[in-house]
Amino acid sequence: MPAKTKAHRIGLFVCHCGLNIAGTVDIPQVLDAFKDAPAVLVALDYKYMCSEPGQELIRRKIAEEKLDGIVVAACSPTMHEATFRRNAESAGLNPYRVEIANIREQVSWVHAKDPDAATRKAIEVIRTIIEKVRYDEELLPFTLPVVRRALVIGGGIAGIQAALDIAEAGFPVLLVEREAQLGGRMAQLSGTYLNFESAGDLLAQKLDALRARPEITVLTESEVESLNGYVGNFTVRIRRRGEDQVQEASVGAIVVATGFDLYPMKQLPEYGAGAVPDVISGLEMEALLRPDGPTGGRVLRPSDGRPPKEVVFVQCAGSRDPEHAMPYCSKICCMYTAKQARLFCRQSPDGQAYVFYIDIRSGGKGAEEFVQAAMEEERVLYLRGKVSKIFRDGDKVIVWGADTLSGQQVEIAADLVVLATAVVPRADARDLAQRLRVGTDAHGFFNEAHPKLRPVESLTAGIYLAGAAQGPKDIPETLSQASAAAAKVLSLFSRHELVQEPTIAWVDPELCSACQLCVPACPYEARRPHPWKPLVTVNAALCQGCGACATVCPNKASKLRNYTPEQVLAMVDVLFAPAKAQEGA
Amino acid sequence: MMTRHTGAPNPHALIIGAGIAGMQAALDIANSGYEVTLVEKLPSIGGHMAQLSETFPTLDCAQCILTPRTVEVGHHPNIHLITYAEVEDIQGEVGHFRARIRRRAAGVNWDICTGCGVCIEKCPTRVESDFDMGLGRRKAIYTLSPQAVPNKPIIDKARCRFFTQGKCRVCEKFCPTGAIAYDQEDALFEIEAGAVILATGYDLYDVTRLGEYGAGQVPDVISGLAFERLLSASGPTAGKIRRPSDGREPKEVVFVQCAGSRDPEKAMPYCSTICCMYTAKHAMLYRHRVPNGQAYVFYIDIRTAGRRYEEFLQRAVEEDRVLYLRGKVSKIFRDGDKVVVWGADTLSGQQVEIAADMVVLATAIVPRPETRRLAELLGIDVDAHGFLQEVNPNLEPVSTRRPGVFIAGAAVGPRDIPETVAQASAAAAKVLALFARWQAVPEVVHAGEN
Ligand SMILES: Cc1cc2nc3c(=O)[nH]c(=O)nc-3n(C[C@H](O)[C@H](O)[C@H](O)COP(=O)(O)OP(=O)(O)OC[C@H]3O[C@@H](n4cnc5c(N)ncnc54)[C@H](O)[C@@H]3O)c2cc1C
Ligand SMILES: Cc1cc2nc3c(=O)[nH]c(=O)nc-3n(C[C@H](O)[C@H](O)[C@H](O)COP(=O)(O)OP(=O)(O)OC[C@H]3O[C@@H](n4cnc5c(N)ncnc54)[C@H](O)[C@@H]3O)c2cc1C
Ligand code: SF4
Ligand code: SF4
Ligand code: SF4
Ligand code: SF4
Ligand code: SF4
Repeated sequence: MPAKTKAHRIGLFVCHCGLNIAGTVDIPQVLDAFKDAPAVLVALDYKYMCSEPGQELIRRKIAEEKLDGIVVAACSPTMHEATFRRNAESAGLNPYRVEIANIREQVSWVHAKDPDAATRKAIEVIRTIIEKVRYDEELLPFTLPVVRRALVIGGGIAGIQAALDIAEAGFPVLLVEREAQLGGRMAQLSGTYLNFESAGDLLAQKLDALRARPEITVLTESEVESLNGYVGNFTVRIRRRGEDQVQEASVGAIVVATGFDLYPMKQLPEYGAGAVPDVISGLEMEALLRPDGPTGGRVLRPSDGRPPKEVVFVQCAGSRDPEHAMPYCSKICCMYTAKQARLFCRQSPDGQAYVFYIDIRSGGKGAEEFVQAAMEEERVLYLRGKVSKIFRDGDKVIVWGADTLSGQQVEIAADLVVLATAVVPRADARDLAQRLRVGTDAHGFFNEAHPKLRPVESLTAGIYLAGAAQGPKDIPETLSQASAAAAKVLSLFSRHELVQEPTIAWVDPELCSACQLCVPACPYEARRPHPWKPLVTVNAALCQGCGACATVCPNKASKLRNYTPEQVLAMVDVLFAPAKAQEGA
Repeated sequence: MMTRHTGAPNPHALIIGAGIAGMQAALDIANSGYEVTLVEKLPSIGGHMAQLSETFPTLDCAQCILTPRTVEVGHHPNIHLITYAEVEDIQGEVGHFRARIRRRAAGVNWDICTGCGVCIEKCPTRVESDFDMGLGRRKAIYTLSPQAVPNKPIIDKARCRFFTQGKCRVCEKFCPTGAIAYDQEDALFEIEAGAVILATGYDLYDVTRLGEYGAGQVPDVISGLAFERLLSASGPTAGKIRRPSDGREPKEVVFVQCAGSRDPEKAMPYCSTICCMYTAKHAMLYRHRVPNGQAYVFYIDIRTAGRRYEEFLQRAVEEDRVLYLRGKVSKIFRDGDKVVVWGADTLSGQQVEIAADMVVLATAIVPRPETRRLAELLGIDVDAHGFLQEVNPNLEPVSTRRPGVFIAGAAVGPRDIPETVAQASAAAAKVLALFARWQAVPEVVHAGEN
């Protein structure tokens, strides 16, 4: 049972964050303000409270002063709340009696130009948070079982690799692919850069490994229709194309690996795309170069089946063009253009390849050398400039462009033009994201939880991201990311149970009038009317503690643990009438 | 011939290098319930990321996002952290590696040191700080940063007065716990591990080898990493942009990209892949700190490939009015209190001369020399430059020729933090799959059932 006694032995720990806070906020003045505050036994400061000596200071004071609540005035709770709670717990304090007063992001950083006001605000923020701690209950986290089976959505190289890594650790995997075959885009490619290895052979090796794993069940021509539940306990409904029946499965974790599309050719009319048959996309060029492709790996023009002599490659078709198309760089097309130009030149020794580019983006190990070799060995001519127009003239395709290095206009009468069209999200990525309740960016790429340190996690616990669905990527990067997503799944599956935060909603049966306003208000479908009693219940596993229900409840019956109406009102009281509230305390 | 082992394979991972790559791999494995020994050469963990100011493309402060991780690694019950140490020898094979680790004598008994910092405060000897790229000073007894994990000092014996002149012992006198141990000796550990991850990171091309850029002779020509220290709120200038020669705020700064990269004749042939992005970041942050300053960037190609990166560059150009000049710099030299930059603008076809106050060189990412030695010990390959070699980047980008030996991060090739982190987790996945097979196999529920 949570203790109902108010905290009355509170410690206040004020962090300097180097100069981040102390450079603006007058720390001695802040400490002074709490010298005689009721229930505050210690008020101390330290340069970096999150550092080991800072944490040690807190642990020591908890023990020495028998503190029953602490406030750390520091950076945003999203940074270190977990650190400080864990630390306090190791010193014997209930972690839910630890609160962060954010005096960095919300104070020192935004009021850097007015130190006096910043100091006043810091004191006010801390005062309200101390009031919160006084009312905080000592909560206990609870546990939920984990279903140790994974769902992987998308059977491209990303999905295949993620499934393999999870299965190799012995866990069952359900791999759902929309098309009839696995492999995704990689099945459409010729060779891979940097060494021209056959993409088909590489993929075949992965598919062999996949077939050898009894843990993996592949469902082709299938899509995820809906998802319910939460990390460790999802219920997924999968529909196979052309069938009425829907399969339901429970899984504990999900990897989204639905890959990418290409910018539609017909939206590039100035390049003759769609209108001139010998203007093709990079992906169509891959088909011409693929040994098992329609031409047996020989580059032949679509219009008349003749081998072209002069081929013009146009980079950034639909990329890096915030006005007309996509603002971002598609990352892979500089490299695959060099690859295609080299492969073409190798099979047509008297052929000439031209590449129009803005910047050549060949970063990382071996990539620059690969492009240099294209220029030196295959004599590919790189022209820095934009192409303004492409049109048909007899059996030629005329390319008008600028060479910004010589400052001249160039015209090339080519036999074939290849457009390196932008990598774009799958058309239905946003729909899927909505069904899974994960976020996408403005374009429709799946959003990671943190762009640097959590690149394969979505913001929804238990749902991970792999491959080009998250943004343009080549095969090596896709493979790494897919294995990384698998690592997250394996970490989750290493436990039989998950610890759940107890700071969630509950319904006071005395106050609830069963008006049910809160049911649709909950974005996580955590609330249900009680089957026979006149009240609403909360599914503790689904509730994320967002508080939406509490704000709509007209009876104040829906409450959030450690964010109760009494608590919030008390915080407001000390903010507006500090002296009075403190007298009453 | 096969070597026979009696015991069962050991589900314990050895990770060498505790930059963001080694830390991420360690956390993924440790959070799955397995033990990890994490060996770091420097006295504290974090690698290069601990030296960075803010990180592209979101500009969050590196220290702020790193500290939760370093603290987590430092406290993790499954992670045995051995810093200021190196792996001397590794024998054995997958399931049964044995490594000898030498921890260098710190001159401080870390078991009793509380990290109070009194010794550092009292030490009379001030020397140039490597961590601050020579722009700041530290004491002879020091930690790398106030947020260091572990937060225990070491004595720089080459600079300490007691070690060089036989007199001083000030730190010993003031240390409240009696932790100073001048006669401490190196410690040797033998550990066993079933799998190894190499994550030894990168070095930067030695700027003094770029003679034509005045590096090493002109004090106001600095490296990109040194500029990170100037930008850093916890750096030697507390985040104020001050040039090294006279401490003045530079009003015109020239950034030179590809310094030592993409130059097969004289330096490294490859592109270092991250410096276009960090230069855009540097120019942008410089303009935020010095609103009336002008930033110029010399480039060959601007390589801001990938999600959100091109947009970041556009912000630098449009909002922060950074002037990008396409061309190579031919010479940089000192003229009075100015640093003169001669370069070509290949777009206008003209020669340009800029009398700048400071020049920042985006120096090439190069492999560390010790990485090659470790690779030899482990019997895995490095490429011509010394980067670790994947068995096949298009199939197994974190695996090597040796079963049970995996690679991650910038030791494999230049890469930014997100790619490094993903790769580190990928290496962890390989280790986890191995360990899981050695352990009792979890009960297999057949997929597709309810
Ligand atoms: C022209 C071209 C040339 C290239 N050349 C190279 C090269 O030489 N080297 C290199 O490294 N990279 C190259 N690439 C990049 C490479 O194709 C990608 O890195 C790789 O395909 C990404 O794999 P993925 O699994 O993330 O996505 P995809 O290959 O797109 O696979 C995604 C899979 O998910 C399925 N799917 C989508 N939506 C759903 C849904 N809702 N439900 C179920 N399934 C779904 C799709 O059918 C598909 O099978 C090239 C790309 C192009 C366009
Ligand atoms: C100027 C500059 C700015 C940058 N800015 C950004 C940015 O804004 N955003 C971004 O994403 N990336 C940025 N980067 C890149 C970033 O630094 C790297 O991506 C990242 O640090 C790579 O991490 P790592 O762990 O692989 O290597 P490192 O950080 O180099 O870590 C390797 C660790 O291994 C240790 N070690 C080495 N050898 C041994 C040995 N023999 N035994 C034991 N330990 C050993 C080292 O001491 C070190 O701690 C920047 C880089 C530079 C140079
Ligand atoms: S990778 Fe190259 S071709 Fe593709 S959008 Fe970026 S700069 Fe353009
Ligand atoms: S707190 Fe949020 S998630 Fe929980 S029941 Fe209320 S509305 Fe739903
Ligand atoms: S003995 Fe060395 S480290 Fe200690 S205070 Fe003196 S100079 Fe500094
Ligand atoms: S004074 Fe002693 S206890 Fe304090 S940091 Fe120095 S060595 Fe450690
Ligand atoms: S990333 Fe940019 S600055 Fe760095 S080597 Fe490559 S092209 Fe040059």
